[in-house]
Amino acid sequence: MIRVSVDVGGTFTDLVAFNEETGGIINIKTPSVPKSPEKGVIHALKQFLSEHEPSSVSMIGHATTIATNTLLGQVDLEVPETALITTLGFKDVIEIGRQRRAEVYNLFFQRPPQLVERRHRYEVVERVNTAGIVETQLDPAELEGLVNKLKKTNVASVAVGFINSYANPVHESMVMDALSKSLPDVYLTASHMISNEYREYERLSTAVVNAVLMPVMHTYITNLDRNLNELGLTAPLYVMQSNGGMAKSNIIASKPATVVESGPAAGVIASAWLGEQTGIRDIISFDMGGTTAKAGTVRGRIPEVVPEYEVAGTIHMGRLVKGSGYPVRFPFIDLAECSAGGGTIAKVVNGSLQVGPVSAGAEPGPACYGQGGKDATITDANLMLGRLNQESLLSGDMEIHPELAKKAYKVLAESLGVSPEEAAMSAIRIANSMMSKILRIVSVERGYDPRGFSLVAFGGAGPMHVCALAEELEINHIIVPPNPGMFSALGLLTADLFHDYTSPVIMETNEVDPGKLEDMFSSMEETGRATLMKEGIHPDQHRFQRTLDIRYSGQGFELNVETGNPVTPASLSESLIAFHEKHREVYGYAAEDEPLEVVNAKLRVIGLLDKPSLKENKERIGDTEMETRRVYFESTGWVDAEVYQRGSLDGVHVGPAIVEQYDSTTVIYPGWSYVPDRLGNLILRRVAQ
Amino acid sequence: MKVDLTTVEVIKGALIYAAEEMGIALKKSAYSPNIKERMDHSCALFNHRRELIAQAEHIPVHLGSMAMAVRVGLEVYKGTLEPGDMLLLNDPYISGTHLPDLTMIAPIFSEGSIIGYAANKAHHTDIGGKAPGSLAADSTELYQEGLVIPPVKLVRKGVLDSDLSNLIRSNVRTPLVQMGDIRAQIAANNTGIKRVDELVEQYGAETLHQAMDDVMDYSERRMREEISAMPDGVYSAVDYMESILPGDGDVSITVTITKNGDSMVFDYSGTSDMVDRPVNAPLGVTVAGIYFTLISTTDPTIPVNDGCFRPITLKVPEGCMMNPIRPAPVAGGNVETSQRNVDVIMKAFSQIIPDKVPAASQGTMNNITIGGTMRDGTPWTFYETIAGGNGGRPTSDGVDGVHTNMTNTMNTPIETLEAYLPFKFKAYRLRPDSGGPGKFRGGCGIERTWTLTSPKAVLGIMAERNKIPPWGLQDGKPGGKGKFTLIRANGDTERLPSKCTMEIHEGDTLVILTPGGGGFGDPKERDPEHVRRDVENGLVSKESALDDYGVEIDPSSYEIIGVKRK
Repeated sequence: MIRVSVDVGGTFTDLVAFNEETGGIINIKTPSVPKSPEKGVIHALKQFLSEHEPSSVSMIGHATTIATNTLLGQVDLEVPETALITTLGFKDVIEIGRQRRAEVYNLFFQRPPQLVERRHRYEVVERVNTAGIVETQLDPAELEGLVNKLKKTNVASVAVGFINSYANPVHESMVMDALSKSLPDVYLTASHMISNEYREYERLSTAVVNAVLMPVMHTYITNLDRNLNELGLTAPLYVMQSNGGMAKSNIIASKPATVVESGPAAGVIASAWLGEQTGIRDIISFDMGGTTAKAGTVRGRIPEVVPEYEVAGTIHMGRLVKGSGYPVRFPFIDLAECSAGGGTIAKVVNGSLQVGPVSAGAEPGPACYGQGGKDATITDANLMLGRLNQESLLSGDMEIHPELAKKAYKVLAESLGVSPEEAAMSAIRIANSMMSKILRIVSVERGYDPRGFSLVAFGGAGPMHVCALAEELEINHIIVPPNPGMFSALGLLTADLFHDYTSPVIMETNEVDPGKLEDMFSSMEETGRATLMKEGIHPDQHRFQRTLDIRYSGQGFELNVETGNPVTPASLSESLIAFHEKHREVYGYAAEDEPLEVVNAKLRVIGLLDKPSLKENKERIGDTEMETRRVYFESTGWVDAEVYQRGSLDGVHVGPAIVEQYDSTTVIYPGWSYVPDRLGNLILRRVAQ
Repeated sequence: MKVDLTTVEVIKGALIYAAEEMGIALKKSAYSPNIKERMDHSCALFNHRRELIAQAEHIPVHLGSMAMAVRVGLEVYKGTLEPGDMLLLNDPYISGTHLPDLTMIAPIFSEGSIIGYAANKAHHTDIGGKAPGSLAADSTELYQEGLVIPPVKLVRKGVLDSDLSNLIRSNVRTPLVQMGDIRAQIAANNTGIKRVDELVEQYGAETLHQAMDDVMDYSERRMREEISAMPDGVYSAVDYMESILPGDGDVSITVTITKNGDSMVFDYSGTSDMVDRPVNAPLGVTVAGIYFTLISTTDPTIPVNDGCFRPITLKVPEGCMMNPIRPAPVAGGNVETSQRNVDVIMKAFSQIIPDKVPAASQGTMNNITIGGTMRDGTPWTFYETIAGGNGGRPTSDGVDGVHTNMTNTMNTPIETLEAYLPFKFKAYRLRPDSGGPGKFRGGCGIERTWTLTSPKAVLGIMAERNKIPPWGLQDGKPGGKGKFTLIRANGDTERLPSKCTMEIHEGDTLVILTPGGGGFGDPKERDPEHVRRDVENGLVSKESALDDYGVEIDPSSYEIIGVKRK
């Protein structure tokens, strides 16, 4: 059987197929169709099916950007009319948010556009207190009036979110019942069902984001399913979620808020899997594509996650700007991002060289592509410094024009008073300094010493810049996977199914009843088990991870620690000890005499899927072919570097060198050795300081 | 020596990143929600001449004042600082803001000499004094406002001074929280030191110094270019703070800006004398307002450092409200007078660069401090500021319900407050018709209403714009005024003054209405469709649509019936 994955990116749709019998991997790259992304998916699959039987496909993994693009207000993806029903007095919680502006010194700042217009926010008289006690009953007559009002609108989706509903969802459930009976064609989201935690703005925002995405995702999945059927593909379709796990497409259609950062997560999952394959525990994943670079961390083979993210927010110096996007409270693979990709444009602004945030994208692309691009990009700089093939890319499929790159950099060079090569080197140094910051954000800032990590470099441009970044962070070990440009798509074949559940507790630890906690976990497990069964996962493959969110009483931030199964007084106190330890690790101190509070009980339900394993790669694609090229390095200036084709290498070599392949180019700096490992990865080690 | 442009660019980025990382370390390890959740803190790096080199974008009012704290606060310790030492201070007459803002400064050494300083400022929830939260609205001198800390070596060669810590512990209401936050401030400076050390190792101290000078020169050059592009002239503006003097009297802040070539003089002559109410603004606050206006009306991408401010000369008469003399009380200078200071400067700037200056925003932070004991006897205190309307802008409406100008702190979630403190919330929503009418409407203010659910508490209010509304520009109308109403448990209703301290009891309800922003441009020129949309969205009444905008809207279909404009 063959397992297939399709990763839709801004420029290319990548398909990777893994043959379980032979261990062979097939890579297909096709252009994306931004207006109807499912067409790109189908193109790629058709190309694959020209040589394979549909019945040989056992599963399809998929990553999509449709959710993010809808929220970014991309043309052609209309935001569906959405309503919000909330407690009387609180209709603007969703708009006021945390009352901050994202940019302090910009007098012309704007909030992100409201997903629910104020006229579509409905209030009802109801109130539940913090202990979950109903203080004001929701009047069925008022509810009926509201339903009738909604019937007269053209609202496509409704979010329901009441104050303190995490403590008692009875009124949200009443509204859901009434709406599902009277408005069967309208999509419904209840805040307690999508994010059952306290803090009203974040919960309501998660519900609203989900409500807005439901009609879009439902249509997308339906179209995709129909197309797959037409191609004779009956294998289950799994979609990557932001938490790094997959879920079956019909589940995603009703919980689309879980897939907003689906693509970038796949690269980190692939890195964790590569760690399994190569026996490496701690990894920084570095993904540099056409418009951005992204970094993530894998510790002890587990990708780092954050409990919340702002979708469609802006990034400043690698970090998300608080208040610039729509908060979504789900576990997200924690990524730092900056606008440094191959297509990122370098410009002189007020006498100083700036790189990004604008990218030349796929159209017109870098100047050297000869498609009309005039701006100097990072790819142009790499070409000028001899780091890219001087005649063509994509193994000869795409002609390039060094003279156009030089022309673009000449403009910059003149205003800076330097040579075009110096300008190109400056652009690369600035891009590298931006990227080294995101690598620091995911390591140093989290209290990890990067020197103990391996760097996995992928994306079309990642392997070109990785040596400079490794030197900056004093990392001595780099892995470049066999197909760096297809690595994220491969990641979709290495993931398991994840479903995350939360039950609020909010109690000081001495008040927590282990029996009740056990009940909470058991009931979440039951829901999870049923979901996995629906996804066709055999009970042998079910796994459960129980954790608790704990904090010092009254503090604003929780830490998530593992807890026992079953919950007993002893297992509970082990969790508390684990909390103090983690607090010391993360914040540098622990106050063991302070009272603690359990905020949430969390359960991750895992459905294990088979993973590909890289087969021994002893074949070489012919003799070691080597030529030399003049290449510029920061430490040496222009030198002769050996140039190889990926796959033709054997034994240990020492840089400077260039390794070219279809989907990427690896630049090996002087002072680094490189050797292919038995699985076809290129391993780079620092040999000299 | 000369450092190439790219190295300068890379070092500049690394220094800003270091300041941001300090902020993250502080936020992560802090104890109080004020810092952890609301991010009421700022971090910066200084060179060996004590010039501001890089700052993290946190709270604007901390910006100018931290530079002052570093410049003045270190004077006494010249030549006596050693590696591992850190100074703590909060004396507003040195550190430039108010007592709850604790400043921590650490020297950075390289080969035995100081090459720079890491510093941060954090708003503590209590620093003693007569009222919980240390923002009493009725202090008459500094000593009532809390513990005054001159620059002291709280950390000596890496060791926390236990005598000083004990002194602080004994003078504050929640010592655990304060000491936790102080520890976090120490951690933040250590992060800054570490990052600068790494840069020294990588580039050498000489290159680093030169690069820092180059960045400041660059900022200076950019700022001078921006100023040169403005028309020369003398521009004056005045604005008021209300109900300060006996008999509901107001005080005024006057600024006269003389713009000549590539420099500017800010003269505060004509400003009211300092008062025995806590609204005097120490010089650090005055300067912060100028810096904020300058950066935000020119080009916010100019790297913020001392170079930006070289074109500026300051004349603030000693003993006026904007440059008071000890022991005048200052608690509200930082939070209220600072907002008015920006309003005045913006008003003057609106004459210089009319297409870049918005109408007045809410012009207050609506400070609420409250504390008491829970039913079980546990003491509690809480502090918050409440957002309002943003002034209409030359090209767009003001934003509704958002923090503006000198503050940018977050709210505390209602579900958090109800779970931990004796509050029951009734409303948190936008205030219709509070946005000043204009071609570009001012943002709406907020209504925040809660009922006390514990036996009693001491409530402190320090706010503004309850009497004199935020002004409009270019025929735009003023924004709605703020209002505080207390509904007693027995139903009696009283309007509270904008600055007061009082006892409230279980069942009492406080209705807070925050001001809206002023409008920009003639409301009769507003696109009728935008008026219609505002009416349909319930932010403008149909009466206001007709009276202010000349647009008649059908109250049921929300369609435009007619447009009456001259």
